[in-house]
Amino acid sequence: MTQRPSRDSSEPPSAQDDLAEIELTDDDILEAMREIPGYLDITTMDFRAVYRLAHRHAIDRLFSGITAGRLMRRAVSPLTPETPLAAAIPSFVRQGLKSLPVADGQQRVLGILTETDVMRRLGAETFLGLLARVIAGEPCIEPELHHRPVSEFMTSPVVSVPLDAGLRELLAAFADHPGRAMPVISADGRLAGLLLRKVFLTACHPDHRS
Amino acid sequence: MRLASYLRKMRGSVHGRPPRVSLSEVLWSWTGAFLGIAAVAWLNQRFFIGSDLTLAIGSLGASAVLVFGAVRSPLAQPRNLVGGHVLSALVGVTCWQWLGGEPWLAQSVAVATAIALMHLTRTLHPPGGATALIAVIGSDQVHAMGYLFVLFPATLGPLVLLVVALLFNNLPAARRYPEFWL
Repeated sequence: MTQRPSRDSSEPPSAQDDLAEIELTDDDILEAMREIPGYLDITTMDFRAVYRLAHRHAIDRLFSGITAGRLMRRAVSPLTPETPLAAAIPSFVRQGLKSLPVADGQQRVLGILTETDVMRRLGAETFLGLLARVIAGEPCIEPELHHRPVSEFMTSPVVSVPLDAGLRELLAAFADHPGRAMPVISADGRLAGLLLRKVFLTACHPDHRS
Repeated sequence: MRLASYLRKMRGSVHGRPPRVSLSEVLWSWTGAFLGIAAVAWLNQRFFIGSDLTLAIGSLGASAVLVFGAVRSPLAQPRNLVGGHVLSALVGVTCWQWLGGEPWLAQSVAVATAIALMHLTRTLHPPGGATALIAVIGSDQVHAMGYLFVLFPATLGPLVLLVVALLFNNLPAARRYPEFWL
């Protein structure tokens, strides 16, 4: 049960999803044309069209190294839907992750279990919310929850991306859901790794790129 | 509604009218065109009048608009200036010789084919269309020249304009010519 992000990277650029694009007004373009001496054999519409496409090409060139496959964390042990919560939580801690994909025996991703999913199930929106209840001495962890399977808690369907997803697709996918990590799916539909939002953001930062 | 959007296109967009150029630019364009056409017309008067050939054809006036009035335009570059005229003249003469019995057909095929060929060879030069049409409409003198028309006004004429444009358009600080050669 996986879902591709709803926006397709092959769509023509819209004002919203085009990165850092400055909206050029006709006046901007005409003023620039006035600054260049001589008659320019071009309309503002032509200029805008050329500018927009060239900008897109430049972005693609600058960020061509960014693909889900390159940035993802490969060493991820997914949970299975039957894993009881009590066994899932140590798995988070051991792997140093706050989200873990849930996959079946064939490594097909069924959903994702996040820290937030667990918190919500415990009746708290955040860790601090949970802590507040612990401090107040409220009973907050019902013992029978420990044995419930992960499939009852997980978010499904999950937004996932293919190995070759590039900057645009990843941005759209992260914008589509609040998760901090996304399963990366290989061509045969199996789990290939986990892409962390912070890793993606670091890779996008021009100063951090080699 | 298809028809509505089709008709709406005819209104044009509010965008896109290029600004008017400065007065000095107008003056440079005037002077360049004056010198370019003067050179063609003087050579024509000196060497061609009285012969069976000519150097001055109307479409060179159109070329002067581009070469001196829109110097940066891709349409005004040497490849287009010379290539456009030569190819169009070839097409025009051929159409006259093959289809001259049906002048309307010869004329329309000549211009349409000239545009297609200029597109394919990246030599689009609007005055070329005029050259193709002139080759078909004639004067009788033009018709009598046959394929010499390709050489004598249609190659030499643009070459004279090209030389003047090279010498002249690089004088003002704000102009340069060409942007590219081939």
